[in-house]
Amino acid sequence: MSSGICFCNSQGGLFKIGENALLQMRAYVQDDPGKAEAGGVLLGRFIVDSADIVVDQVTIPMPGDKRSRHRFFREAKNHQAMIDRRWNQSKHRCNYLGGWHTHPEPNPTASKTDIRDWKRALRQNQFDSETLYFVIVGTQEVSAWEGNRHTRLIKELMSIPDQEN
Amino acid sequence: MADIQKQFEEFNDVVRLKQYEHNANLREKRDVILKKLKERLKVLFEERDDDLPKYTHFDQGSYKLGTGVKPLTGDFDIDVGLLFEVDRDEYRDPVVVKQWVYDALDGHTKKVEMRRPCVTVFYQNGEEPLYHVDLAVYSAADSNFDNKICVGKGKQGSPPENCIWEEADPDGLITVLTGKYSGDDWEQFRRCLRYLKRWKDLKFPTAGNAAPVGIGLTIAAYNWFYPKQKIVDNYAGQTRTDDLGALLDFANAMLCNFNLVFRDGEYAERIEAKLPVVPYGDVFEKMSNQYMTKFKEKLQKLVAVMEEAMKEADPVEACKKLQKVFGDDFPVPERDDTGAKRGPAIITSSHSA
Repeated sequence: MSSGICFCNSQGGLFKIGENALLQMRAYVQDDPGKAEAGGVLLGRFIVDSADIVVDQVTIPMPGDKRSRHRFFREAKNHQAMIDRRWNQSKHRCNYLGGWHTHPEPNPTASKTDIRDWKRALRQNQFDSETLYFVIVGTQEVSAWEGNRHTRLIKELMSIPDQEN
Repeated sequence: MADIQKQFEEFNDVVRLKQYEHNANLREKRDVILKKLKERLKVLFEERDDDLPKYTHFDQGSYKLGTGVKPLTGDFDIDVGLLFEVDRDEYRDPVVVKQWVYDALDGHTKKVEMRRPCVTVFYQNGEEPLYHVDLAVYSAADSNFDNKICVGKGKQGSPPENCIWEEADPDGLITVLTGKYSGDDWEQFRRCLRYLKRWKDLKFPTAGNAAPVGIGLTIAAYNWFYPKQKIVDNYAGQTRTDDLGALLDFANAMLCNFNLVFRDGEYAERIEAKLPVVPYGDVFEKMSNQYMTKFKEKLQKLVAVMEEAMKEADPVEACKKLQKVFGDDFPVPERDDTGAKRGPAIITSSHSA
């Protein structure tokens, strides 16, 4: 594995957070009481001829977003502009995959607010796939959930242990 | 996981050496030598007022099989067999017959050498090698009482016990090797063999017997390669060609066939590649125990890298890993090209806690 994190998705493929995206998110780890929650959207590829999905980059807090120790509000406008730009640049191959945010806990769990927000995203957002992915970056672990647009079921994904030294 | 069959096939197109019928350049070079040989042999035998035994030529080696790869150094290797109608009882010393070929071609280029298995004509541009032609000398079956084809081994100055006619079956070898698979399976066999040969050219020193010989890898493939498709749709029974999987299985099978043997005063792990025709010898025989150990270690590394590539979700990363073992000719796709085209997305604002 390259330095990224892999999870098993429900389609029998992998959901991989690439090295670059991971570095972008880890820059906001809440490992200090002074650090506020951060978040953004996941951008990446539905790998051709496979069930694999790779997160290549993420958006980071932008003007209009609101951040506090335990809350993050993501204003759609600027993040949408980034989605559109990458989608166009990549000739529609770099796509919106879901969202991410940080938690000031080692092994992140989804809060009620998180689950409600994800279900809302599955209902209200427009996207060309069956699933959305939600990532929470804790102070030690990174966890991921998959949401189904039809059933709106959210389930946590199992991570694949990194086999490199 | 990531499907990188396309990249393997592109790699194959870059490294594969076309056979003579598709490769006018190498064919011409072969024909120039054969023409020169014919003219000069005639003159040489006229000068000594002797009759030139009849001979024919045939292609052998990886060209014949179509398993050749482009050499990294540009030093192409052309293999030709010369089948002389000479009786081994009359010409007991094969070096005599090899000497005819050597004398006929000596001076044709700057460097012509008699080596134990053949006579080699080197072509170079200044100091840079362009290609060389290996001419193996055979005594024809019809010319011998025992009806056996033999290849002449030995060179000028070798002790007599090293100058021998060794029974061989060049036609039979090709027939056996090409008879194992056909159609798509044969194509996959050849592609995987080419990948392995390119890896060998990159990872082993060229001098001496440090590298496993190409024919050895070919025999290994004959013994242990198995064609592979991967299932993409169980319901529809849909499968897709899987060169990575096939080569990985083959490399693993080779590793399983290293056995502990006693040789040169020590126990060593060795793999054998025995000719499936006479003289049935192990073509890896010349590799020292030390080189064998290196061979095994490099194979283990190759397997580890291929296993990593197989587990990798991102085809870009998978190909970058494979580049480390197969070299820069292995293509890495553009990131965006590996993503499926999807429709636009519109997001709403979001709260998290």
